[in-house]
Amino acid sequence: MKFTFHHKRIAGILTIVPANERLFVDDMKNFNFPEARSLKLKQVMGFDKHRVVAPGVCVSDLAVAGLEHLFKNGLLERDGFDALILVTQTPDHLMPPTSNIIQGRLKLKHDMLCLDINQGCAGFIVGLIQAFMLLKQENVRRVVLINADVLSRKTSPQDRNSFPLVGDAASITVVERDAEDSVIHASLKMDGTRNEALMIPAGGLRLPSSPETAVLEDVGDGNLRAKDHLRMDGSAVFNFVQMEVPELIQDLLAGVGVPLEKVDYILSHQANRFMLEKLADKLKLPREKMPHNIVEHFGNSSGVTVPMVIAFNLAEHLRRNRSQVVLANYGVGLTWSAMLMELGNLNFCEMIEYP
Amino acid sequence: MDEFLKKMAAVLEVEAVQETDVLKSFAAWDSLSVLSTIAMIDSSYGVNLHASEVQAATTIGCLWRTIEAKKRV
Repeated sequence: MKFTFHHKRIAGILTIVPANERLFVDDMKNFNFPEARSLKLKQVMGFDKHRVVAPGVCVSDLAVAGLEHLFKNGLLERDGFDALILVTQTPDHLMPPTSNIIQGRLKLKHDMLCLDINQGCAGFIVGLIQAFMLLKQENVRRVVLINADVLSRKTSPQDRNSFPLVGDAASITVVERDAEDSVIHASLKMDGTRNEALMIPAGGLRLPSSPETAVLEDVGDGNLRAKDHLRMDGSAVFNFVQMEVPELIQDLLAGVGVPLEKVDYILSHQANRFMLEKLADKLKLPREKMPHNIVEHFGNSSGVTVPMVIAFNLAEHLRRNRSQVVLANYGVGLTWSAMLMELGNLNFCEMIEYP
Repeated sequence: MDEFLKKMAAVLEVEAVQETDVLKSFAAWDSLSVLSTIAMIDSSYGVNLHASEVQAATTIGCLWRTIEAKKRV
C-alpha cells in the first residue's frame, strides 16, 4: 500500500555499535566446512568484521547510552519529544515493553507515548511511517525512533548461514515537522504466508524455550543450530528480494513521476554484499549509488542498517546538503518497503561505540 | 548452451564443464554456489529459480532444461 506524508523530516541520526568486534577468520574456526569454501563465502558475501555485544548486553543498554549521548551533547532535549518508538525483535523481556524500560531508566516525562514494534530488517521504514502518523497530532512535537537488535545473542556460532552475517547495533532517529512543504512517498507490502523464511522458532508461547529447544541440531551443510536460534532460509530470502524489491521501487517512482536518474542514492537494507550488488544490477543502477559496505565493517544489524549506511557513508554530506534518496528495506514478515524523500540538513549524523 | 556451460564452469571454479557432468560431483557445489547459480540464471536468462529447483537437477544438462521449461511459461 502507498503512503504520503507532508511537512515531515528526519532531523538527526545517531547509530550506536558495540565496541566488541569479531573477525570472520575467527568465526570460521567454528564451522564444519572446508577453509577454501569459507574464504569464498567471505569474498562473495563481504564478510570480514562484525560487531557483537558483550555477554548480557540488551537493547535498552544500547538505546539508553545513545539517548544520554544526545542529551549530554545538546543534540536533543530530555523533554523535547512526546513519543518514543522502539523497533526490535530482541526485547529485554517479553513484557513490559522495552520502550517503557528505556523511559524509566532515563526518568523521562510521563506525558508521552512509548511503543514497541516487532519488526526486523524492514523496521526503519515501518518505524518512520508510525512516527510520521504520530506527528499529525498537534501535541506530538517530535518523535524519537529507536531501531535496535542484539541478534548475535540468538544466533548459533556454528551456523555459517547466519552467525558471520549478524551484527548488533542501535540507531536513534529524531523525526519532526518540516516548515517546508516536503512530500514523502512510501510503498509497503507484506506477505504473512511466508513468515517462516526468517524466524526464531522457540522462545515465544507457541514453543517455549526448554532444554530440548536449546539442543544443537545438524541442519545440513555442516551447520548446527537450536530451535532457540535465528533460522534464515537464505536462498528463499534472496529469491524474495530479487522478485519483489526492484518492482516495488520502480512502481513507487513511476507513481510519482520521478525517474531513477533523479535519485541520488538508494539507501538499502544491508543484507549482504552479494544481494545488494544483484539488487543494484537488477535496477540497472550504478553500484556506487547504492552504498553496500556495512556488512563487511559491522555486520547486518537488521532494522539498524539503513541509518547505519547513512551515518557511515554520508554523515558529512547530509549535515550540509540535501539529497533525493530512496530508502529500501525488506525482511522478516515478510515485509518489503521503499520510501522516497529529501534527506539532509541534518542537525546531527554520527556513530558512537558502546560502551 | 555453450554460453551456459561457460558460466557454470565459472560458478564451479573449473576450466570447463559438460552437459552430462553431475552437479554434486564438483567440490565447489554447495549452498553458496547454488545461490550464485540462481543469481546467474536470473541475470542471464531472466528466470528466477528456487534453490530446491536448482538442487533437483542432477546434471548441468538437467539444469539447462529446467531453465528452458521456465522460459516457455
